[in-house]
Amino acid sequence: MTAIGTSVARADGPLKVTGQVQYTVDTQLPGMLHAKVLRSPYPHARVLAVDATAAAARPGVVVLTAADLTNLDHAFGVALRDQPIVAIDRVRFVGDPVAAVAADTPEAAEAALEFIDVEYEPLETVMDPEAAAADDAPVLHPVERPRAPMFVGWPAERFRGSLNVCSGYHVEQGDLDAGFASADHVFEDTYRVPPIHHGNLEPHAAVASWDHRGHLNVISSTQSPSIVRLQLAEIFGLTENQVRVVVPYVGGAYGSKVYAKIEPLVAAIARKAGRPVRLVLTREEVFATAARHACTVHIRTGVRNDGTIVAREVRAFYDTGAYADTGPRASKKGGYLAGGPYRIEHQSLTSYCVYTNKAPAVAYRGFGVPQVVWAYESQMDDIAARLAIDPLELRRRNLIRDGDTFVTGDVLRNPGLDEALEAVAEAGDWGSPVPEARPGFAIGRGVACAIKSTSTPSNSAASVRLNADGSVHLLTSSVEIGQGSTTALAQVIAETLSIPVSRVTVSLPDTDVTPFDQSTISSRTTFSVGRAATDAAAKIRQQLMSLAASQLEAAVTDLDVDEGSVFVRGSRDRSLTFAEIIRRHFGSPAGSLFGDSVFQTRGGLDPLTGKGKASATWFYSAAAAEVEVDLETGKARVLRIATSADVGKAINPAQCHLQNEGSMLTALGSALFEEVVYDAGQPTNSSFLDYGMPSLEDHPLEFHSILVEHPSEDGPFGARGVGESVISPVAPAIGNAVAAALGGARVRELPISPERVLAAVDQQPEARA
Amino acid sequence: MTINGRRVSIDADPSESLAYVLRERLRLTGTKISCDVQVCGACTVLVDGLPVSSCTYLAYEARGREVLTVEGLAHTDGALDPLQRAFIEDNAFQCGYCTGGMLLAAHAYLADEQDGDSGENVFEALAGNICRCTGYVPIVAAVLRVRDG
Repeated sequence: MTAIGTSVARADGPLKVTGQVQYTVDTQLPGMLHAKVLRSPYPHARVLAVDATAAAARPGVVVLTAADLTNLDHAFGVALRDQPIVAIDRVRFVGDPVAAVAADTPEAAEAALEFIDVEYEPLETVMDPEAAAADDAPVLHPVERPRAPMFVGWPAERFRGSLNVCSGYHVEQGDLDAGFASADHVFEDTYRVPPIHHGNLEPHAAVASWDHRGHLNVISSTQSPSIVRLQLAEIFGLTENQVRVVVPYVGGAYGSKVYAKIEPLVAAIARKAGRPVRLVLTREEVFATAARHACTVHIRTGVRNDGTIVAREVRAFYDTGAYADTGPRASKKGGYLAGGPYRIEHQSLTSYCVYTNKAPAVAYRGFGVPQVVWAYESQMDDIAARLAIDPLELRRRNLIRDGDTFVTGDVLRNPGLDEALEAVAEAGDWGSPVPEARPGFAIGRGVACAIKSTSTPSNSAASVRLNADGSVHLLTSSVEIGQGSTTALAQVIAETLSIPVSRVTVSLPDTDVTPFDQSTISSRTTFSVGRAATDAAAKIRQQLMSLAASQLEAAVTDLDVDEGSVFVRGSRDRSLTFAEIIRRHFGSPAGSLFGDSVFQTRGGLDPLTGKGKASATWFYSAAAAEVEVDLETGKARVLRIATSADVGKAINPAQCHLQNEGSMLTALGSALFEEVVYDAGQPTNSSFLDYGMPSLEDHPLEFHSILVEHPSEDGPFGARGVGESVISPVAPAIGNAVAAALGGARVRELPISPERVLAAVDQQPEARA
Repeated sequence: MTINGRRVSIDADPSESLAYVLRERLRLTGTKISCDVQVCGACTVLVDGLPVSSCTYLAYEARGREVLTVEGLAHTDGALDPLQRAFIEDNAFQCGYCTGGMLLAAHAYLADEQDGDSGENVFEALAGNICRCTGYVPIVAAVLRVRDG
């Protein structure tokens, strides 16, 4: 065991420090045109007429409107096919595409947009998800859209209200009324989370072209090459082999590039232009393309005097914006995880996925979970304060344990949650006196923990190729979005074949060549693709041993593999290198061996009961924060923070720590200042001039990243996954620290802005200050 | 102007940004555009040794000046600069989109430090370069390691 658990240098390092690395935005093809998109200035309006005659008359300009797409059902969406490539008769948010133009330069395309006349009739808007769910709310999609074939649907009718409720989820156990009747205290609160921006530094980009076979070629910054291929095939009436999706290195995604985003539009205008077309979104357009779900969470919890949580009811309204995208799935996930990682006998958990006139909410690191963790972990500290129980101790008394059955029916095996929680408490000096604050400031500490699941069922294939010289290629459609997949996957193969990591190269996705992978999402790449790659490499190993057995005249059972050679156990001199085995096999030092494998996770939740098998593996995490609050201005500053994640097995510890740091800092931004702001339906801060993201100056002075290793059953070498774990507990840990600093004054709506801190203090006169 | 030690002559529209000229005319795509408003630092290049945001800096203003981009950091014999090596060794990046700008901002900081006149610490020097994936901890470690030899 040398390749596993080692922080080998990243495979893409030399490319990334020299500027040689190519992203989609860097693509130039011969004869390529540049696209620009005309977008709605209204949050909700009927489109009465689109007149593109003047724009189309300009030299070299190609215009796309809905009139060009009348022969297609071009509305797409991975759950509901509700999002047209360009508006058909209605726009639903500021930034909704209405038409697109392609021209020789981006400037010429931009200039041509001015010559498209659109006649709108403004409609009433609805911006709040709970208001949008009410039966008198203005309806965004009056005609229900068909479900995408991949989506296991929840019957939305059960959850209405308004047609704006496009999906819902419910699960329960025990007897809620009896549970609350047995409680000594009941806590009932509402927590809110605003939309936030992914902040992917590389904007969404795609280049599309059609060849004379009628095949569609797309280069895209997507996290989902296999699914985008399916979606494009579906829209344009092609078979999967007629669509090719290539994904270069991706400059940050965090969920913003999951499933089709701009690819259908670029493909449609390229089809009309008959030439390659590139679209690179501006920052303002990225804001109009993706956000994290805003959410309103009503949470009611019944507790006994000894701190035992006996009942919990949660109703969470997820704001999916103008189109469903992954909202039905993210809200489902947030729904069944809304009770938290606790043993609670009586539970009723419900989530609603609701349309509003905001930009579409999409996958975002944490996938619907941070919203409910913010609610249940904040309320946990209110409970601790009322019962005068230490917050860490209160959690200890209620934590799920090995072998417990989760509310979905899943049995949780070997959870590293208690260890994760104790580790951050220790690193954060929990229980020791809080440092004395400067005059005019207060310091507090907070702790929080979380549980998250992974997309299940899901499917990853891997194809491993052993070259004649003993070096190896992995063909995979998993995307290098910065998380280090091209390094970690090389490590699991190197380990399986007992060769140096440098002898393994991991491909980037090219759907003409690389096999299916569900998507680079849900912290699943190391777990699922890693497992498929390990199994595929094991098949190569098996072939090598069979060949070597006859070549060495030994039984396969007597053979072993080490350092790129097969040898007879007990007599190392009877040994053949991989290259020699291949040379003997083919009679020439040329040729290759293949090993293919598919890793399929099984499960899913019953649409009617909400029960079944929610997840193939589980992620456990915790955070402890120490925060200083300026009592005059209300500004909170994180002095130090410790995070921990049960990663199962750290394949590459340095990369795991980086994933934790990234989750931590994104969550810190969401806790203290990140928010996409709307004023009467208009977004007002869709620029980095106005939307702040954490810089080095916001980084906590002290940061501990702790990796807990409770092996999973199915992951390669016991790995679980790490990408999203830490994002959930950080905001409530910070919120709990702020409340502790303020003697219990609590901010229940993110971000914890100075204004909200001062307001919370005002509402709680007995608080310090 | 001189770009990465090579004199180049370009006919460009006066409104073209330096980033546009580098990326689209010279195909030096290591310089990245992200926010387009001089905030995130992804487009940082050095002009006469000083960091500028090339997304808003006009190519016209660079006439006769020396421009250094990430492609020019490695030595002429192909060997990586110590800063580039430190970034690899310390894992100071993930997606890499901020890395070019980050390296040049750090390069300017280290040059100032060598002259003894930076007047700011590494946190201030790199505060204008956003890394969303986050490698801030290893980035600072790598820069300090090079600074301290």
